[in-house]
Amino acid sequence: MTAAKTLDVAQLPPYDVSSQSPLWWGQVCLAIIEGTMFSILLACYFYVRLRMDVWPPPGDQFPHLLIPTLGLIPLLLSVPPAYYASQAAKKNDRGGMIRNLALNLLFGLIYFVLRVVEWHSLNFNWKADIQGSLVWAFLGLHTFDYVGDLGFTLVLLVLVLTGRYGEKQRLGVHVDTVVWYFLVAVWIPIYIVIYWGPRLVETPR
Amino acid sequence: MNRSDHVTPTTGGEARELRLLEQAWRHPRGIFGWLSYTTHQAIGLRYIVTAFIFLLVGGIEALLMRIQLAVPNNTFLSPDRYNEIFTTHGTTMMFLFAVPVMEGMGIYLVPLMLGTRNVAFPRLNAFGYWMYLCGCIFLYWGVFTNAAPDAGWFAYPPLAGPQFDPGKRVDFWAQMITFTEVSAMCVAAELIATIFKMRAPGMTLNRIPLFCWSMLVQSFMVIFAMPSIMIASSFLLSDRTLGTHYVNPAEGGDPLLYQHVFWFFGHPEVYIIFIPALGFVSHIISAHSRRAVFGYPAMVLSVVATGFIGFGLWVHHMFATGLPQIGEAYFTASSMMIAIASGAQIFCWIATLWTGRLRMTTALHFVFGFIAIFVFGGLSGLVLASVPLDLQVHDTYFVVAHFHYVLIGGALFPLFGAFYHWFPKMTGRLLNEALGKLNFWVLFIGFNLTFFPMHILGLKGMTRRIYTYPPEMGWGAANHLATIGAAIIALGGLLFIANVLLSRRRGQIAGDDPWDADTLEWAASSPPANYNFEYLPVASSRSPLWDPPEERAIVTGLRNDRREALVTTLMDAEPHHRYVLPGPTIWPLITAIAVTVGFAGSVFNGWYIFWGAGLTGIGLIGWFWPRRPLELKP
Repeated sequence: MTAAKTLDVAQLPPYDVSSQSPLWWGQVCLAIIEGTMFSILLACYFYVRLRMDVWPPPGDQFPHLLIPTLGLIPLLLSVPPAYYASQAAKKNDRGGMIRNLALNLLFGLIYFVLRVVEWHSLNFNWKADIQGSLVWAFLGLHTFDYVGDLGFTLVLLVLVLTGRYGEKQRLGVHVDTVVWYFLVAVWIPIYIVIYWGPRLVETPR
Repeated sequence: MNRSDHVTPTTGGEARELRLLEQAWRHPRGIFGWLSYTTHQAIGLRYIVTAFIFLLVGGIEALLMRIQLAVPNNTFLSPDRYNEIFTTHGTTMMFLFAVPVMEGMGIYLVPLMLGTRNVAFPRLNAFGYWMYLCGCIFLYWGVFTNAAPDAGWFAYPPLAGPQFDPGKRVDFWAQMITFTEVSAMCVAAELIATIFKMRAPGMTLNRIPLFCWSMLVQSFMVIFAMPSIMIASSFLLSDRTLGTHYVNPAEGGDPLLYQHVFWFFGHPEVYIIFIPALGFVSHIISAHSRRAVFGYPAMVLSVVATGFIGFGLWVHHMFATGLPQIGEAYFTASSMMIAIASGAQIFCWIATLWTGRLRMTTALHFVFGFIAIFVFGGLSGLVLASVPLDLQVHDTYFVVAHFHYVLIGGALFPLFGAFYHWFPKMTGRLLNEALGKLNFWVLFIGFNLTFFPMHILGLKGMTRRIYTYPPEMGWGAANHLATIGAAIIALGGLLFIANVLLSRRRGQIAGDDPWDADTLEWAASSPPANYNFEYLPVASSRSPLWDPPEERAIVTGLRNDRREALVTTLMDAEPHHRYVLPGPTIWPLITAIAVTVGFAGSVFNGWYIFWGAGLTGIGLIGWFWPRRPLELKP
């Protein structure tokens, strides 16, 4: 193209650790995809619930409330470190990244242990009935994503600890928090539905 | 950032810069190198070529069915083989051809139209292609080991459930879905990020080319609709292999739930295929009537509206399932409402054609063919949207006729038009126009001869998916006609292939802008260099190439010794920062193979999911391993 004018961009930074990066939008799209999956599963839960006279289906005991509710504490506590880690990544503050990624990982792991304990105590599995199938789908899908993101956070922490990082990895720390916020936020409605739902909409036996 | 008025730098320096740019974007050599490409032109063409191979395969399956149905009581195919072939035909055309070919066109054209150098996530782009290819191989592995799916392309339970379809046939279908959906979601995410953040400076929202708007809406539809089909196919697969109860009424599941979840994807899917085609049509009409498309804001709003309304129609596929009448009434109304959005676009195109100076090229022929066939298909759609009429013709050949009119008319004709339009950009040579017009007429006549009689067959009560019929039904003549039409379509397909093969070698040299078109892809050379533009263009208006040269501008100051592009702001496309894109890498392929091990293995044994996840983790670590230099030089 022949052109008369030029627009010089040499002074612009060659990288940007912020939500202006295309990668941030990529992570938002990922969160939308996962969020849509969970929304559809929730819709399916209510769809089958409306068609059943007795809920939870006979033979299923109520999922325990104590551990999943206690679990919310470390889960929510893992959010501020994620935020501060992303702020530290923007400022290229290595100490801040290490501290906050480690805290994020620690709270994440505590919650993960509680998740496993609670999951283990369910008296039904995916083969029991439709509630079993759906509850296991929620737990399975969310845990899969959760473990994946814990692994990703661990890799980032190792990279920062060993000093093998640059703008790209700092951007990784920043956008990793998008997925983390999402995984925490999406768990709240799922928690309400699968643990409180059967109690709140209980039918007389 | 400085705006200055002086022209390009001195010649000697410029030649050196160009050499650096060539070097930074050079493809690696050898087979290993070939597997590592991450440029959007290469990946886009791979999608397009692979999808066309599967169009041929799906077409051959269609011909086999037409041969079987040509005469009553035919024994050319056994009932079981017939079930496999119609299922594989539908599955291939929807999942392995129609969506991927549109994604491929988007991957190829969007960065060029936006005036940038690659998609936002080149490695994800490569990964998406490899996933798609693995999905194709996976389905046809089933086909060639006598495990072709046989329960229809939407695999309704209970027919597709463990009781009535034992064996692995439906499992192959359900897991193939996962492959192709992962691929489509990768493309959607990268196109959204590219269109939002990598537009040429000055390309504000109301200057985005209409095809890019189409791909943006299509990508959003993909990320909201595709999760639904993954849930549906996972329900089916886990009921079949793990013993869950999602579609098992004995334990509280519901086959109708599957239909809802399937069609919540299935209807938007039609628009996922059709909306890119709307973009093709706008560009072809604009270039070949030599004026900007009439009513740009109306066009954009219609495409966006189509995207939204497309999610509110799914129940019209389920009118015969005994749903509450109020629900049916709502979905009838919304199904009719979408005609408003489509109608607005048709009128804008007619206004453009009416006031333009037409050049009757093959591409424009295909657009006229599209308008004729699509309007006709839309009218039979109105019939199907009204419940009482739908109940009469449900599951008959009337439905088959309708969706071939809207899908072939609405997507395949614009796609062929798009080929005649953009082939010179992709290869540097024009397709032969005389052969092209012949190709169009043969396809147009063959298409109508095949599918028009199916309306009548449907009204006469011929149901879908029957493998033969007795002569007393009186369906013989129309079926015979349809089979003759199918042979003519096949001839049209051969003409197209011949034209491509001949023109690729001996076609007329096209030059950068053979049609005097207005959008930025025509500013690149034909075929484009790996970096697309030596200097990124500035979008001075909605039709930048029609602006007088003194108003055009280029971007300078990007480094040429690495793969650099420009990130701009979402609304106003103001330059924000420079962005270094990754180079060639083998890791997306390795990761795709790792995922394939998990997906394909889990059809036989659930534990493979964990093996696959572990291998995928290794692949991802290789993919994201920090490479030097860690800190970028400014």
